[in-house]
Amino acid sequence: MGRKLIEHPFYAIIYGSFVLFIVFPIVYTLGTTFFDGSSLAGNILLLDKDIFLLLVKSCIIAFCIAMLSTIFGTSLGFLLYKTDFPFRSFFKIALLIPLFISPYILAVAWKDFIYVFFNNTDLISSSIGVILVLSFIYTPLSMIITGSGLSNINSHLEEMGLLTTGLRSVVFKIMLPLMKPALLSSFVLVFIFSISNFSVPAFFGVKLFTTEIFIQFSAFYNHSLAILQSAFLVVICLLLLYADRKHLADASFLSIGGKGTSIRKYSLGKGLWLGWFGASFWFLISVIFPFIILFIQSFRGGASKFIQAFDLLKSTFSDSILLAFSGAIITTIVGFTAAYFSETKNRNFFNWLLLFVFAVPSVIFGISLIKFYNHPGLDMIYASYTIILIGYTGKFSFISAKLTANAIKQIPYSLEEAAQIEGIGLYRRLRTIIFPLIMPALFASVVINFIFCLGELGTTIMVYPPGTEIMPIKVFTIMANAPQSLVSSMSLIVFSVTLVVIISLAYFGKKFIRST
Amino acid sequence: MKRVIFSIALSLVLITVSCTDDSNVVVVYTTVDQVFSEPVLKGFEEVTGIEVRAVYDTEETKSTGILNLLIAEKDNPQCDVFWSGDPLRTIVLKNKDITTPYKSRMADDIDDVFKDPKGHWTGFSARARVLIYNKDLLDPADVPRSVFDLTEEQYRGQVAIANPLFGTTTFQIAALFTILGDKKAKQYLADLKNNDLVIATSNGDVKKRVSKGEIACGLTDTDDAFEAIKEGANVGIVFLDQQGIGTLIMPNTVNLINNAQHPGNGKELIGFLLSKETETTLANSCAQMPLHKGVKVPEGVPSLDNIVPMRIDYGKTAQTLEEIQSYLKEWVEN
Repeated sequence: MGRKLIEHPFYAIIYGSFVLFIVFPIVYTLGTTFFDGSSLAGNILLLDKDIFLLLVKSCIIAFCIAMLSTIFGTSLGFLLYKTDFPFRSFFKIALLIPLFISPYILAVAWKDFIYVFFNNTDLISSSIGVILVLSFIYTPLSMIITGSGLSNINSHLEEMGLLTTGLRSVVFKIMLPLMKPALLSSFVLVFIFSISNFSVPAFFGVKLFTTEIFIQFSAFYNHSLAILQSAFLVVICLLLLYADRKHLADASFLSIGGKGTSIRKYSLGKGLWLGWFGASFWFLISVIFPFIILFIQSFRGGASKFIQAFDLLKSTFSDSILLAFSGAIITTIVGFTAAYFSETKNRNFFNWLLLFVFAVPSVIFGISLIKFYNHPGLDMIYASYTIILIGYTGKFSFISAKLTANAIKQIPYSLEEAAQIEGIGLYRRLRTIIFPLIMPALFASVVINFIFCLGELGTTIMVYPPGTEIMPIKVFTIMANAPQSLVSSMSLIVFSVTLVVIISLAYFGKKFIRST
Repeated sequence: MKRVIFSIALSLVLITVSCTDDSNVVVVYTTVDQVFSEPVLKGFEEVTGIEVRAVYDTEETKSTGILNLLIAEKDNPQCDVFWSGDPLRTIVLKNKDITTPYKSRMADDIDDVFKDPKGHWTGFSARARVLIYNKDLLDPADVPRSVFDLTEEQYRGQVAIANPLFGTTTFQIAALFTILGDKKAKQYLADLKNNDLVIATSNGDVKKRVSKGEIACGLTDTDDAFEAIKEGANVGIVFLDQQGIGTLIMPNTVNLINNAQHPGNGKELIGFLLSKETETTLANSCAQMPLHKGVKVPEGVPSLDNIVPMRIDYGKTAQTLEEIQSYLKEWVEN
């Protein structure tokens, strides 16, 4: 093992750093909790039937969200990735908007929207509200995953099917079975994101497992019990991810840009109106409605609150963007390393570690980082932005690994083998063969993780250094007691900044990809 | 590629270096809403030239933030001064040996009831728990005057309070327990629940629901209530129980952290927070009531001289709170 690591110093450094800086703090915290005999015994007694019923309720709600998101995401993915639907490029970007905005803000906007129309918020202040809002947020994620899966289906298979049978049979008997990995992957990821979400159920007053963990933290200051309860969430997430990986070991999904395959586009023909209705309706309810509310709230009394919000947030722009960008680059490097060595050298353990950290709830991860890094001598890390970058790396490297793994899988091994026979070393092979071929996937990984890093709150709020200003934290802390118009204005500004950066990244990224 | 990697590495180093130590700083953690606390801290920077590094938290959005952070950092504190929106959080820290005694002479004329006898915390600028009501939904004659009125049939389903497991609502319930005793307080809470009490997510949520006319009235803090009026909502405010047990007064508190890294600067900040100038700023920004005598306040901001306060011992109330938390959790959930 040791010899193998040293064989590839780059891999050894990345792998070793991840274990040391990220995995070890979590293991240390879990260890000190589980091996603290007295508190563990007492806390185990507190794990009664109600806790497990709550866990079941959380699983049911997360299941509903994952199902709905996958169903709607797949439908939209098919429409936008597999048909000749006009303006699909616009909708591919526009429908992603809910992913850019804090779930809490969207929950507020939806509640206000329902109140305006029904003069009552009982219906949305319930499990239904949680399912509705989180489904709107995660459907775009599902759309990207299933859309990529659909794009990777070999068009020859579809064409052969169409020669002998109708479209319906091709969809159900060829396309759906082929994209099963993408469907399952979408389901699992959305399930994990949903079951870990705290802000939306808390806002709607719905008691779930995450809110219970929060009560132990914030009302009882019982860290041990909260960590113990979190362990159940971690186990559930790991089991799901294990099933996902086991089942999908060689399946292709979550890839950006298919190598060696051509995408077959279907003509909507008479069904065009249905496509228009579907895309427009979803755009209307998931993007336009909440935005109308945010706009009305922002500008009801003129532009003064918007200007005030801009003044409050402008000092956070540069640091937040630089941090998110650095986070996106680091997670992509770590994710690629894990994916490459897993795909080509069959070293899967690093991938499993990424998956383990991804499954740990944000608050527990934050507490772990505090307990581990807040020691004299480690202030260089703890009292600086490095701690936030460590947080980002732990939270999002798994997503990068998923995104890049399949792109690597699509590169014929013969290419690398031929180069290896010629005596070309690993780093040159990476530079001249692998990177150019997977550049779209690496780029997508940077963009997606940039969005996630820029909006990350759960861990960052626990560890952000005193005196620093990060955009999502500032929005979150100013929300309290600030007029609704100011909060809505800040949400619009955050969204605009994110969008501008992403469009810039897309513009320069395309140029960069072409040049490579 | 090498240039890209070098640039990233350089950026990371610069980020790290830019945040490293400086002795002319003070680190403050505050649970007071950032919109109100940040201007005060900036004022301190301007007056003293000492850089303030703040970590903000908010009861409103229920982050797990600062108190847990202070507890987790106990063995190697990063914070010098903790500025809390109410005394109970500070007392939790005191009980966990996270605070250290410090008595500032700036607080000499503040009533002893608002100070820890050993100097672990000192109070300043206070808020009160008040009733906010929607003027479109309640005639002046029908507005409740006591917390005990809220259990009457005419207010069925028309009263909201924030989740009593958190923030100042916990404080109010704990204060009722210390005044009424366990039996009567539990009966009162049961009556409230039987009267279809609405449990909102936060005091801000109570304010919002009443302002929009979703419900007729609710219990909240003075800063939330005055904010609603500032926003133009058609609401009124009542200081409850002026003929009875009095209104709960909740001072801000400030304390020095045990083994703070910048104790000198921390003491200077504590002195600044306890000054009349800070009380004036907070009276102007969020209608907080000064505890010093002779502080000028804007029109509309109530004076403690005109309010009958609830007579409680803050330390005892904090202890009661710890004792009733499990009961409250059950009360909320069932």
